[in-house]
Amino acid sequence: MVTTAPDTLIRTNLDFLRRHPPFDRMEGEALHFLGERLATAFYPADSEILMPEDGPPSFFYIVYRGKVQARQVGGVAVTEYATLTLGPGEGFPIGAISAGRPSTNGYLAVEDTYCFQLPAADFLHLQEISPSFQLFCTRYIASLLNQSREQLQIQFSQRAAEQQTMTTSLSSLVKKAPVFVPPGLSTRTALEKMVEAGVGCMAVAGDDDKPVGVLTQSDILKRIVLPGFDLARPIADVMTAPPHTLGSNASAYDAALEMATHGVRHILVVDAEDKLKGVISERDLFALQRIGLRQIRSSIESAADVQALQRASQDIRQLALNLLAQGIGAEQLTQFISALNDALTRRIIELNLDRHDLYGVEYAWLAFGSEGRHEQTLSTDQDNGIIYVLPEWADKEPLKLRLLEFARDVNNDLASCGFPLCTGNIMASNPDLCLTIDEWRERFGTWIREPHPEALLNATIFFDFRVLFGDEKLAYKLRHWLLSMTGGNPAFLKAMATNALDVSPPLGKIRDFVIDDDPKYPGTIDLKKFGARLFVDAARVLALRTGVEATSTVQRLRQGGGRIGMPAEELAAMADGFHFIQLLRLRHQHLDTDHGAPGDNRVKPDDLNELDRRILKEAFRQARKIQLRLKLDYQI
Amino acid sequence: MSWLSRLLPGSGPDLSPEQQASLAAITRHPGPDLGRSHFETRYVIVNAESRPMDGGGQRLIGVGAVAINRGLLHPAESFRAELASAPADALLGLLHFIAKAPLVVYNAPFNQGILERGFEQNLGNVPAMEWLDLMVIMPSLYPERIAGQASMDAWLSAFGIERLDRHDAVLEALAVAQLHQVALARAKAQGLNAPQDLLESQTSRKWLRGS
Repeated sequence: MVTTAPDTLIRTNLDFLRRHPPFDRMEGEALHFLGERLATAFYPADSEILMPEDGPPSFFYIVYRGKVQARQVGGVAVTEYATLTLGPGEGFPIGAISAGRPSTNGYLAVEDTYCFQLPAADFLHLQEISPSFQLFCTRYIASLLNQSREQLQIQFSQRAAEQQTMTTSLSSLVKKAPVFVPPGLSTRTALEKMVEAGVGCMAVAGDDDKPVGVLTQSDILKRIVLPGFDLARPIADVMTAPPHTLGSNASAYDAALEMATHGVRHILVVDAEDKLKGVISERDLFALQRIGLRQIRSSIESAADVQALQRASQDIRQLALNLLAQGIGAEQLTQFISALNDALTRRIIELNLDRHDLYGVEYAWLAFGSEGRHEQTLSTDQDNGIIYVLPEWADKEPLKLRLLEFARDVNNDLASCGFPLCTGNIMASNPDLCLTIDEWRERFGTWIREPHPEALLNATIFFDFRVLFGDEKLAYKLRHWLLSMTGGNPAFLKAMATNALDVSPPLGKIRDFVIDDDPKYPGTIDLKKFGARLFVDAARVLALRTGVEATSTVQRLRQGGGRIGMPAEELAAMADGFHFIQLLRLRHQHLDTDHGAPGDNRVKPDDLNELDRRILKEAFRQARKIQLRLKLDYQI
Repeated sequence: MSWLSRLLPGSGPDLSPEQQASLAAITRHPGPDLGRSHFETRYVIVNAESRPMDGGGQRLIGVGAVAINRGLLHPAESFRAELASAPADALLGLLHFIAKAPLVVYNAPFNQGILERGFEQNLGNVPAMEWLDLMVIMPSLYPERIAGQASMDAWLSAFGIERLDRHDAVLEALAVAQLHQVALARAKAQGLNAPQDLLESQTSRKWLRGS
């Protein structure tokens, strides 16, 4: 009897596994389950195997040959080690895959490496059928300092936003000309001047305007009143010398650090020649941070009612405006708008859960469209839905009614916090969008099987789903199913690609730009329709084709484009183009639109400065490039 | 069967109606788009098992094959057949497993030659296939490792690939498949993104070598 080819290969897998813990102790049946499902992949030295941006991992990896290094990504320590090298027989990422969340480490091949890969669902099943493996994984996870992904993300985005406000230079923070006295002045006169000027800190400087010391209000009690200091003596005898100074180019962050390090509340600001330019107090820095990300976030999380959340949503807008004015990049800005809006939505849901008892119901609140892609601007309306599991013992109608009532309240609260109700009724309170996982599959399946124009339009909205609250695993299952349906379906992908190519970049043959011929908006370009969407639609086709789980356009480009061999520089240029268009949209919405017309994406190229016009042209060229790629790939 | 008899009308192997239908099904099957990326291409790695014939030459006695799909080598995606009892069915099985995917071998003059002869003798005309020979491609992708033509063992040991059993056609195909994964990684880095690119590079390389 001849051994079949799969048997031969499974046997080689098993031979390897039996030599390495914890597989050497694995129950026979479970070991065989594992052995017949392990596929082998090759990663050349210095290549990425798995990164946090990849989203919840699709595979559990076991190093077969070579070396893999686990590296902390970002500066926040989750584990005790900074890097860890894994060799043959060692598996990763156990924690992330068990929890169905993105890995906190980046995994890189440090030499030419072969890895066994087990699909995530099989990994979870393996834990169920193998007590020894489950024990191994549980111990492994317990040994990690368990910090959730949410906490990490908060820290990252907070830092991004805070660094932006805290990078303001001290020269722009100094509002008043400095009040100072010469060192020889009597202490009494100096104190009188302090009262007169209403300052909490008196700087002391010589004739050359160079500061030599400082006296603060808190010094007065300890150094003058209590010891009975003679007020006729010069201030030089009682001041703190030398004072803490910083150059006017130093940042607010530097000042905060200096204050924290030395335990002082004032910093003297000097120019390049060491001349006194002003005084910065702790309170000045505090004012700067009043609408910082951390503050808004904590006010959202502690909000007791919708009124408090309404204030927070105003603050989000104000902060966005400040950051835009300071020139923060579109990527960071949309990321943190997205992070804050997520937090706001979660809090609204939590508040509503007090009134709606959904205990024990497996469900998740989904965001679609731009919110699903983490790309919403401040003038986007609601696009949401619900996915839930119908327990065998439950009646569907009552459960669905409960979910719908809950969704209606959440939708209304979101509307009162500045997310307008969706005119197309793409909202969780719509019975058509509050569906079980099977119903969602059926709906998606119909669109994929019969890609008529309306189905394709739906796909562009609903396939970009993301969980805002609830059980992430539901969406994860749906996504895996969706990608398995679209990946091997060239007809559907071609239809999606054709749809994505419906609109071309507005690049003119004679003039730089083709402007809208709608007489209502003379000389304008709609940057959503003729800009951002070109990238978004093309990236979605790429993601559905290559099985990328991420929903954000840039991630889809990066990962999907990488998989079909597009050079990294080319993809980076496309991402830059997309970011620039997003930035123009945001700038236009927040800075230029006084009338507050929601969703105004119309920009007049003639109003842009020369540099922006050139970059915009280049951005459109990048859009044309990615469209060209689609045309070639699908022969459209 | 002499080479002349094949040219005579009505000659060639006798295939049953089922076998003919099976062969026709493969011929009808649309071939893959060779301009797609490696990630989207299913490659089939084949290895021929042969025995010396009386009077010289080699006779095909078995085949082993494994596939690489989306960069992954999965145990279920493999094939083995012996030609002893029903060679036509064995080779039809192989053609169905290949499903017109581009083929990868080490040492085409031997493997491709003996397989093509086997197809011709047992099935008559079979659809044309694309063959990639790692013996030709590897030195152009990794000239810093081995510059010229080298043995399969030399390349396997350069990348630490174990040759588990040289008498098992499936395990031999497995070793070549692992080598092909290495080849694909470098090909992509060099901008040779699709099977088409590798085939072209192979042709120019053969041309240069004058073979």
